[in-house]
Amino acid sequence: MGRYNTRDNSLKTALLVGSLVLLSLVTLGAKDVDLRGMVRSYNAMTLADADLAINEQTIDLKLEGWGDMTRLVVNPYAYVGLDSEPEIGIREAYVDLFFESMDVRIGKQAIVWGQAEGAFITDIVSPRDMRSFILADFTEIRMGIPALKADYYLGDYTFEGIWIPRFVPSSLPASDGLWAQEMTLPNGTPIAPSITEVGTTFEDSEVFGKISRFGSSLSWEVMGGYAWTDEPHVTNIDGPTATATQEYGRFAVVGGSFSMPLGPTVVRGEAALYLDKPFSSVTPAMPSPTVEVEKHHQVQSLLGVDWNLWGVSMSGQYILSYVHDHNATLMELGRPVEEFKHTFTFRMQDTYISDRLTAKIFVYLEPEPLNALVRPSLSWSIEDGVSIEGGVELFVGDEDGTFGTYSDNSLAYVSLRWYF
Amino acid sequence: MKHSLKKIIVGLACLGAVVLAPVGATMTGNEVMQQVYTRPNGNNMSANLIMTLTNNRGSTRERSIVQFRQDDGAIEKKLMFFTAPADVRDTSFLNFSYSDGRSDDQWIYLPALKRVKRIASDNTGDSFMGSDFTYDDMGERHPSEDRHTILRQETIDGWDVLVVESIPVDPKETYTRTVSWIVDGEWIGLKKEFYTADGKLGKTLGIDAFEKIDDIWVITDMTMANVQKNTSTRIQMKDVSFNNELADSFFSERQMRIGPRT
Repeated sequence: MGRYNTRDNSLKTALLVGSLVLLSLVTLGAKDVDLRGMVRSYNAMTLADADLAINEQTIDLKLEGWGDMTRLVVNPYAYVGLDSEPEIGIREAYVDLFFESMDVRIGKQAIVWGQAEGAFITDIVSPRDMRSFILADFTEIRMGIPALKADYYLGDYTFEGIWIPRFVPSSLPASDGLWAQEMTLPNGTPIAPSITEVGTTFEDSEVFGKISRFGSSLSWEVMGGYAWTDEPHVTNIDGPTATATQEYGRFAVVGGSFSMPLGPTVVRGEAALYLDKPFSSVTPAMPSPTVEVEKHHQVQSLLGVDWNLWGVSMSGQYILSYVHDHNATLMELGRPVEEFKHTFTFRMQDTYISDRLTAKIFVYLEPEPLNALVRPSLSWSIEDGVSIEGGVELFVGDEDGTFGTYSDNSLAYVSLRWYF
Repeated sequence: MKHSLKKIIVGLACLGAVVLAPVGATMTGNEVMQQVYTRPNGNNMSANLIMTLTNNRGSTRERSIVQFRQDDGAIEKKLMFFTAPADVRDTSFLNFSYSDGRSDDQWIYLPALKRVKRIASDNTGDSFMGSDFTYDDMGERHPSEDRHTILRQETIDGWDVLVVESIPVDPKETYTRTVSWIVDGEWIGLKKEFYTADGKLGKTLGIDAFEKIDDIWVITDMTMANVQKNTSTRIQMKDVSFNNELADSFFSERQMRIGPRT
């Protein structure tokens, strides 16, 4: 929600999307075809100044066609806001080929890995749409990427390979948007980013692999990949022109995750080692800060527990990030990088009146510096497929923290959804 | 000779009485519930379910489910795909019930998350998708989880039934006593009452229709009524078929993501 920034939209995009959908319908003329979707009206007001910061209408369609051993999925969407250009696009468009012990998926697809809830540790195949920070719906925060994915099944084991021929970075908030993270020179002058795009040759592609086991007592995944950083790092700052040159960097990743029942609970764990991940090392100076790119190993790990108490579903997670050979000059996305960073999450959810009313709260908490994002919400199902939700996105605490920095952006929202 | 003939007649009469007596009359409660648990139900089964939820004001909501079940004697696997309404469509639910009495394993696939998530087994007493059925009700409860006693015999709609009281071994369960009406010899339940710890009737399961399909008894229409909340959930089963060609790998994470296509 609130993708308030410049959008690369035009009649051309609309025509392209429309043509693709029409082409899909024609192609599937003789097949088993199904069209469904969701329409949403989302309105949010900032708590600080009672400003209607976001008014957005969304339509999200899913066209699905089945052959005997194939499936086509096309997921076009449109966002229309009061203060921004309409955005039309295709979230996913892929073909599945189903074989006896193997599935192949070709096309634009969003891929989800790992066991973490609200955190991205081994789940780094698809980049993220961060234009509204992390407030977007699950279906919208992961971006589709052009990829060839193959899954081979052997008993309880799955072997998965992914080739991404063309790198797609995360979408970051625009510099004039609600969620912008402005970089400034020591004298406070804003710095404009200048990003070097990644090439489109074979050498620029990304690869990922995963072995997983789906089991009764223990399910686990082991993954690896050779990827680009989804967010750019600064390579140079030119003081006189107030320009920061940014680029994406290569790194390798190995990791894994598991989930297992333990008494009345489910225990989940996930960890990844990012090898030689590039960070910016920035030393303040005038007129131009000195920037070097340093490569460090980074560990991201998570331990989580899910349980039920009196029918209330609950989940707690502890997330640790560690940067090896750390120094105080390291920066990432314009913010200092901590050697150790601890984050806790907590979720509580319950339903009432035969599932018509859902009460939920999700909390991100960073103890050092103390700051948090608190997300309570109430959702009422008016009738099957139609619901209204109200909630608060409360950013509190130290403004140097990941969430506290948005303390002026705390929102109250109302969202109406209609599924068909 | 006359005395011997009398002996034979009396002997035959006794034998006849034994043969013609209801089968369950000589069984214990545990044996009856074991018969219910092991009643033939096909190697596998598929069906379309319509779940109708009625609230205390009488308004209804409907959910459509495609269900597949496979039982190899040791594990009963059940895979459910929600096909309607639109906001829960493509959600799937996989349940493994173990004949050795182990806790069920349960997973849910939420299409919005694109992720198969294991469910904490402690929630088996929670409502299944907002209905009056719990996750526990949707699986097969192993007889060893309760102590069973035959209370009496009755006749319902011409069927000889055994009324069996079951007390959970785990005293912390929501319903501390259930009473089941089991058709003697056919081992199918016609009715079940669930009582709370204070002895009050909590909910009732009524069987509105059952029939033999491929020589297997199938409950095709049942209603769980929550007496205290004045709500009810009716499940109707249609297009029931047994012994389909389903690979064991059908009951998998892969299929949960693909959907009900075989």
